[in-house]
Amino acid sequence: MKKITVIVRNLPLNTRKNAEALRMSVGLTLREDKVTVIFMDDGVYTATHIKPELLNFTPMDKAFEALSMLKCPLFADKPSMQKRGINKLIENVKPAEREEIVRTITESDIAIPF
Amino acid sequence: MKLGILLTTSPENENTNTVIAISRAAKEAGHEVSVFLMYDSVYNAYKKEFAELIDKGVSIAVCALNVEQRKMSRVPGILFGSQYDNACIASNVDRFISFG
Amino acid sequence: MQDMSRITELDLRGEVCPYTFVKTKLKLEELESGEELKVILDHAPAVENVPRSLKNEGHKILGIEQKGDNLWNVRIRKA
Repeated sequence: MKKITVIVRNLPLNTRKNAEALRMSVGLTLREDKVTVIFMDDGVYTATHIKPELLNFTPMDKAFEALSMLKCPLFADKPSMQKRGINKLIENVKPAEREEIVRTITESDIAIPF
Repeated sequence: MKLGILLTTSPENENTNTVIAISRAAKEAGHEVSVFLMYDSVYNAYKKEFAELIDKGVSIAVCALNVEQRKMSRVPGILFGSQYDNACIASNVDRFISFG
Repeated sequence: MQDMSRITELDLRGEVCPYTFVKTKLKLEELESGEELKVILDHAPAVENVPRSLKNEGHKILGIEQKGDNLWNVRIRKA
């Protein structure tokens, strides 16, 4: 079993990238590997209560639900949150200290910045 | 060694030439190379360099959903695959690198 | 003794990759070895990819039947 970490760093509402990163993360669980998703920099907005449907983007709820159901850890980088004044995340995304983020990435067999 | 490569950027990004060069060099050095194209990188499927990589024995798969969303046609030699194929590559290779 | 004649149905209309395969895999986990699952799909790429991926996981594809313009039934025997 490999440890795979997907890192989401972009703003969520001007690209389909973040939704695709989450869809890919769901897919990566299919061979029983342990998949973790980290939201950092502007990517932390992805884990907040945004409404992509107002911009005719597909909501990402389904991917978040699937990742939670598949027990994939979801972390938001605390310094990135603080810098942007974010204090509320969607369910199942845990704020994590930078040390924990770095440890998760360095302990991964595969890191995918998306 | 088995090498897996994930590419997510469109063909005008410098990642395309990097992936082509790495794949070519790895294959020539006797390694097994699998490339997965998803998101805007599926447009790379039309590049002749990718057809040349297939001729050299590089295995290339695209995310069929992304291809369909972009109304693209299929390219012979490229697997019209799924995220499961990306998972298999990640799971089976010795080294996996991503270009996004 | 398990009932081999029982066919479980999973309606995946409206679902795309990788949810088609994730949900099929989770449903198969609930079944006993040898039991049959019928999956209903309306996304053409999934009709190719779900059976190919299932075969790779060791399951048997009993048949793929087109039921309409964009509607297919895939019958699977759990490994």
